[in-house]
Amino acid sequence: MRDFTLFIPEYIAAGAAIGVLALELALPRLRRDALAWATAAGAAAWLIAALFYVGDAPGDFEGLLRTDAFTAYFRILAAGAVLAVALLSARYLRDRTRAAGEYYGLLLMAGAGMTLLSAARELLTAYVALELLSFSLYVLVGYLKRDARSNEASLKYILLGAFSSAMLLYGISLLYGLTGSTTYAGVAEGLAARGEGTDLAALAAIMLIVAGVGFKVSAAPFHMWAPDAYQGAPLPVTAFLATASKAAGFALILRLFTEALAVDALEWRAAIAALAAITMTAGNLLAIQQTNLKRLLAYSSIGQAGYMLVAVAAIGYGDAAAAQNASSALLLHIAGYTLSTMALFAALVAHYNRTGDESIEGLRGLSATQPFLALVISASLFSFAGLPFFAGFATKLLLFQAGTGAGLLWLAGLGAANSFISLYYYLMVMRRMYLFDPPEGQTRIRPPALLGAMAGLLLLGVVFIGVYPGPVFEATDGAAAALFEASAAAFARLP
Amino acid sequence: MAEHAWILAAVPAIAFLALAALGRRLPRQGDFLAVLAAASGFGLFFAVLASFLGRGEGAWPVLNAIEWTAIGDFRLNMGIAVDQITIVMLAVVTTVAFMVNVFSVGYMKGEPRYWWYFAVLQLFVASMLLLVLADNLLLLYVAWELVGLSSFLLIGHYWERRSAVEAAKKAFITTRVGDVGLLIGIILLWKATGTFNILDIIHAVEAGEVGGTGLFVSVMFIFLGAMGKSAQLPFHVWLPDAMEGPTPVSALIHAATMVVAGVYLVARLLPVFEAAGDALLVVTAVGLITALFSGVVAFAQTDIKKVLAYSTVSQLGFMFVALGAGVVSAGMFHLFTHAFFKALLFLGAGSVILGAHHRQEVGQLGGLWRRMPVTAAAFLVGSLALAGLFPLAGFWSKDEILHAVEGHRGALVFALISLASIMTAFYTTRLFILTFLGKPRDAEAGHARETGASMTGPLVFLAVLSVFAGFVVYGGVGEALGFPGGFGEFVYLHHPETFHIDWGLAGVSTALFVIGVFGAGWLYRGGRLDRAAALTAWQPKLYEMTRRKFYFDDLYQFLIDRVVLGFSYVVSWFDRFAVNDTGVDGSATLTGYAGFLLKHLQTGRVPNYALAIAAGVAALILVALAAGG
Repeated sequence: MRDFTLFIPEYIAAGAAIGVLALELALPRLRRDALAWATAAGAAAWLIAALFYVGDAPGDFEGLLRTDAFTAYFRILAAGAVLAVALLSARYLRDRTRAAGEYYGLLLMAGAGMTLLSAARELLTAYVALELLSFSLYVLVGYLKRDARSNEASLKYILLGAFSSAMLLYGISLLYGLTGSTTYAGVAEGLAARGEGTDLAALAAIMLIVAGVGFKVSAAPFHMWAPDAYQGAPLPVTAFLATASKAAGFALILRLFTEALAVDALEWRAAIAALAAITMTAGNLLAIQQTNLKRLLAYSSIGQAGYMLVAVAAIGYGDAAAAQNASSALLLHIAGYTLSTMALFAALVAHYNRTGDESIEGLRGLSATQPFLALVISASLFSFAGLPFFAGFATKLLLFQAGTGAGLLWLAGLGAANSFISLYYYLMVMRRMYLFDPPEGQTRIRPPALLGAMAGLLLLGVVFIGVYPGPVFEATDGAAAALFEASAAAFARLP
Repeated sequence: MAEHAWILAAVPAIAFLALAALGRRLPRQGDFLAVLAAASGFGLFFAVLASFLGRGEGAWPVLNAIEWTAIGDFRLNMGIAVDQITIVMLAVVTTVAFMVNVFSVGYMKGEPRYWWYFAVLQLFVASMLLLVLADNLLLLYVAWELVGLSSFLLIGHYWERRSAVEAAKKAFITTRVGDVGLLIGIILLWKATGTFNILDIIHAVEAGEVGGTGLFVSVMFIFLGAMGKSAQLPFHVWLPDAMEGPTPVSALIHAATMVVAGVYLVARLLPVFEAAGDALLVVTAVGLITALFSGVVAFAQTDIKKVLAYSTVSQLGFMFVALGAGVVSAGMFHLFTHAFFKALLFLGAGSVILGAHHRQEVGQLGGLWRRMPVTAAAFLVGSLALAGLFPLAGFWSKDEILHAVEGHRGALVFALISLASIMTAFYTTRLFILTFLGKPRDAEAGHARETGASMTGPLVFLAVLSVFAGFVVYGGVGEALGFPGGFGEFVYLHHPETFHIDWGLAGVSTALFVIGVFGAGWLYRGGRLDRAAALTAWQPKLYEMTRRKFYFDDLYQFLIDRVVLGFSYVVSWFDRFAVNDTGVDGSATLTGYAGFLLKHLQTGRVPNYALAIAAGVAALILVALAAGG
């Protein structure tokens, strides 16, 4: 059925994107940060519209897109992330560029792409949504035209993105050849009914798709673009890459693997478990060696992707109930991780706007000059490491618990060991802030009002999830339940 | 309102946050906020009480809980339970907290970190109220640790002073030993019953679902926690040292509220203790030994606050004896009256210390009766109430304890607790005579001056309570106040008990009072020390032993120095070489080196990256084939 009302929130986002572009064209003398406020207003409207759709009965658009609690969850996440990044960008971009309309417009488009990705139930629709997100990001990463590093990052991202996108398409076409369908339900049916001797083809198709989405979520060994892109991109875009872009990848993985590929779980689950193990270990080991803060966070986010893949592996190893638990834990972890990352970047942007220094060394003595920012950074890093009272503790606990529930005790153990390693390099950052004196002549100053307030609010959210995960857990449980409502048929066919 | 009694704890919690964040910048460093919070807590208590009583006995206890978290089958609810015991505790905590906050405005004037003092005081009040409201052991444990933390911070308020730091550390570590026991006990009870909820645990025990040695062991662990917090032998050592804190803190935390948390815990879980074999016998024994021991030690203390501290330890022993007899009303009633007169005595001591320019050794005081008449009169009322003069508050509650012991524990325990009562009257009289009668023995004490209204006001208020609070034991008084009857008809375990005065017992009680008072009065007549000095000279060793508190502190110090430190030396050697150098540094070096090797894969060249992607796909296919094949 063609129900065009299902995506009114995304119309708002797209409309706001065009509006921002038009605004800059019509009023070229407008202060650049006015565009940020306009974008934030658009994102806020989008968020509010999204909230109106919470709790609606699942909607279906021609079997291509589905709106349910799962879509609603990612829609809110996307709108929230765009809102936060727009606010982060206001002063950062004003200081560094003259034209900003495309930046904010593409940001909104990327967010809309993320929502569509979480709604897609057909391979080509998903592919188009993914490319909408990716193309927007290619430009955003290279937006600082006069910065050689930004250009390099963008170019690498585009080349490797195209490469992995080709792999994804190749996998999709193999799947179509095997099953004769591109809808998730059709693929599941076709895979279950496929003839003898096609296992290798199915496996190759699935692994090519894994490479495509693994690139998106920066799983090792598809992660190598991430440190370069994170480092070169404007700081707020790095925040978007680490949160929304990664979350979008997992939205695609969750729908695809539970609905279309669950029937072949026996084939792919070991590979995903191995991918998780390699990703978390490589990310954390490499992070130890970094001196640039953005690169460190890139590797840390690779490690986080490894933890998240534990849940995907658990989906392959468990029955429907265990898989649903794992999905719910993954969604919860994404929420906690997004909040922590945004809080961290709010503090980092405030620091960077003032100093322009993005080395770890540059945080020296921050506890003396800007104690609040130091506190926010420390709390976010503790949350990443999974210490109690912060979101990361509760979410990681549930994530690893889902792993052990599915018989992946070794993987959960490896995750715990990796969390321990990660604590080392997080503490090294805190050591700079708390145990070293600030550079000569620097005295205590107030944090900027907007970024300080944002960091404070986000930090409250981080602590809230850490201390009282109940309400958010209920929401993610509902989203996971909706996911499995759509894919009940696939799990029923599981051998 | 009763189901929203959590507001009582929320108000001081908010005051704490406000004071901690802004206190330094507010006018008067925000002390008015503290007093306001305490006053509104005192007022709100009456709203809770009215609502509670208005529901009638059938609707008790009032419960209100939310689901905190549900993971799989594990559901954890957090909430409050308001029953009769809680109401008694709320009355004590809100009243004394209000008085102490007002008193502190005068007492702490000009002291360092004035705002921080008030902030932590509010944190304590919030935690203490949370402790008595908690409907489950987990929340109770959180509050239990929070009161311990506030106590630590307040004892160490003058952290420039070495002795204060040592005392804070000692209090924290000593109670922590008990707390570990409590935590083990809570976990054992949870394993046995599958719940943290106190009511559910009691129901499970009453239904006979758990029992035997397992229950006895868990209950003993819980009692360890109670002993630590309530400073029972052998954990009593921290409480006298805790007198390093500001005196109003001693009144609130170390006399009226936190130290009775152990008594409260045992009273709350009394059905569980009853079902657990000889657990109540242990409670009686510990209480009795503590009451006698600290009564003796109080004879020889020369610091006005230390006498009161040992007296508190001794009175807490009385409460445990009552609970050990299985009579919850007697224990809670003594807790109730003791809170008022002991807080009065401590605040009186604070007034003396401030008035006499920080002299607190009784050897330097004396003759303050004329110079500080209000303080002296209030102190006299408190002393008489503590000693048990008819018809002051202490008389009634001690009478109830004697009655309970006589009925449930037999003649020997009765005789020993009577002996402890005589001691109470004796050291109380001694303290009063040495402080207020005779002539000043020090020039500063001779220039003592009465303290201001913010300090004498609370003294008078508490003195009134010390006179009249005991009358609630009568059914008529209770009914007039809106209760279903007297104290024993309000707080009870199995069935309500109507109070009838037992003239024989009252006579015994009065005789004990007279013996103690006149014994001390004879020894220290008119504030003279000659007879006491002669007594000391007659048995110097015995006196020295009492003064040194039977060498408990020295024994602990010896154990720590020789046994603990000796053992820890061996462990630290192992830690240094085997764990740290080889295990930790070794694995850290290895991890770092692995990262260093991996770093070289990140060449920065796009073709290499693309190769990694392609090789990754191939490797994944191989892994899947190997695992699936």
